[in-house]
Amino acid sequence: MRTRKQKTANIILAAVLFILSLFFLFPVIWMLANSFKTDAAITADMNTVKAFVPPALNGSFLNNYITIITDTSFLRYMVNTLFYAAIMILAGIVVNGLAGYALAKINFPFRERWVMIIMLLMVVPTETIITINFLFVAKMGLLNTVFGYVLPMIVNPFNIFLFRQVFVSLPDDVWEAAQLDHCSPFKYFFTMVLPMSKTVVATVSVFTFLNVWNDYLWPSLVFTSSDLLTAQIGLNSITSNDNTTMGQTLAVITMITIPVIIIYALFSKQIVEGVVSTGSKEG
Amino acid sequence: MSFIELKHIDKQYAGADRKSVTDFNLEIKQGEFIAFVGPSGCGKSTTLRMIAGFEDITGGELFIDGKKMNETAPRDRGIAMVFQNYALYPHMTVEKNISYGLKNMKVSSGEIKKKVDWAVNILGLEEYRYRKPKNLSGGQRQRVALGRAIVKNQKVFLMDEPLSNLDAKLRVSMRNEISKLHRELGSTTIYVTHDQVEAMTMADRIVIMKDGVIQQVGKPMELYEHPANKFVAGFIGSPQMNFYDITLSGDTVTFRTGEKITVPESVISKLNGRQGEMILGIRGEDIKLDEQNLSVYGNEKQQAVVENTEVMGNENNLYFTFGGSPSVARVSKYEISKIGDRIEFILMPSRMHFFDKETEACYV
Repeated sequence: MRTRKQKTANIILAAVLFILSLFFLFPVIWMLANSFKTDAAITADMNTVKAFVPPALNGSFLNNYITIITDTSFLRYMVNTLFYAAIMILAGIVVNGLAGYALAKINFPFRERWVMIIMLLMVVPTETIITINFLFVAKMGLLNTVFGYVLPMIVNPFNIFLFRQVFVSLPDDVWEAAQLDHCSPFKYFFTMVLPMSKTVVATVSVFTFLNVWNDYLWPSLVFTSSDLLTAQIGLNSITSNDNTTMGQTLAVITMITIPVIIIYALFSKQIVEGVVSTGSKEG
Repeated sequence: MSFIELKHIDKQYAGADRKSVTDFNLEIKQGEFIAFVGPSGCGKSTTLRMIAGFEDITGGELFIDGKKMNETAPRDRGIAMVFQNYALYPHMTVEKNISYGLKNMKVSSGEIKKKVDWAVNILGLEEYRYRKPKNLSGGQRQRVALGRAIVKNQKVFLMDEPLSNLDAKLRVSMRNEISKLHRELGSTTIYVTHDQVEAMTMADRIVIMKDGVIQQVGKPMELYEHPANKFVAGFIGSPQMNFYDITLSGDTVTFRTGEKITVPESVISKLNGRQGEMILGIRGEDIKLDEQNLSVYGNEKQQAVVENTEVMGNENNLYFTFGGSPSVARVSKYEISKIGDRIEFILMPSRMHFFDKETEACYV
């Protein structure tokens, strides 16, 4: 049973955490509140508490958002990004999952050395290999194609390592039982290994989504056609346009932030587990 | 004709300096229930896994139903296996666990339903049919593992310590269920266990192994009554057989601590003239404390002080030191002794075993 002293300590702790969280949240609240205002209202409220309060609900409440959706292609960019993320999640689970499984469960020469190499690759920043990737994709004639964007990003040492860490603890006798049940290795992987490792599949999916959603550099190199652009590039082009108002800028930032907040809120457990099992966070 | 034949089977793991299984020879008849027993690391599970195809055979030949199986994939050997840790598919219900193999074998859905119904019924799993393994007890999980094995109508059942994770009471009931299933299905079964009681109570024949080598193959009572060596004599039977270092001179046995007993000619004759230092073995139940035996063998009476007692309910175990060795006598529940009591007993001469001191092979 908790003592009175413990209860008081908990209340104080909760209060301190609440105040601290306000410090972290205030830019988000400010962004959200002002995304519904005209530029004149934003300027007028700038130095008052009203800067954190949304305007009254009226006919023009969603004007900034409506302008972004109707006058720009930002919604399309968001759909594009979701589509790329879906492809990357599916392909990434298959490719990185199979690689992780091989490193965890299949005996082959120098297996542990390969694991070391994969771990070393995790510390190589994307920026250092992006030129090679670009030249490779360009030589293959895949610039400005979905395939060219997705292909170099599927293999991910972080995800391979994450899968490997989880698969290594799967019991071997389940595979042996499955063999006696006439299950092929690939069928075993898709019908047994992945369902038995739902948490890591969810973790990898979340990280992949966040990677794709937040990626700016790679898509800006591969894509030139406006039909294929991603949300981050769209954000940049909209916010750097002189005709875009402050309110519209905040609306578009809100639109691009909301999916990330939702993902963090829904999958915080998986994100934490991913960080715990690999000791690092990607994306 | 033998149904499963293991000829000079060897197993040596890469990098190991000695073989895990050495020159394993065994013929198993169709429908037989064979138990592999031995202490941890004796090679019993390795042998079973070689039969299953999960371990490569380093040397020798394995035949199942007349076909050489050394290079055959596990799925094509016609075997079903029950694993120590059940190896159930955790994300599937009981029904799906049992039917998974049949689906992969392209059995018609009507036939699958019939077989799953039969297995679920025979194993008493009807009410757990749609539960996942995590919501089942150890005994229920083991029954699902059995169900998964029996529905496939395979020629051979392999069981790798299937009851070792269950509590004592459940183990007894599952033992009976497995024996009953074996009788009903008539399948050839190889059962690995480190528990000699399981082997004795279930198997038609027992294979006792030590350090990768077969020590003896025989029916349970053959092994109990006529052990091939001191290891078998000590491994089979609970409590363990008592062993004494003795010197045999004529018909007189002298214990290390000086006690002497006379052994009748009928026993001496079986030793074919062997004399000198050897090991005498006698089981706890063959050390008698009752009045009748004490009066018949009065001259051979020995004495010791009880150091510990185990009241088992149906019988008592009395622990004492005799002839320089720790000893145990298994007596009836009516023969009550307390710690510190001085007891008189006789070692039944006709029940004595004599082992070579060097090779530990059994003479009698």
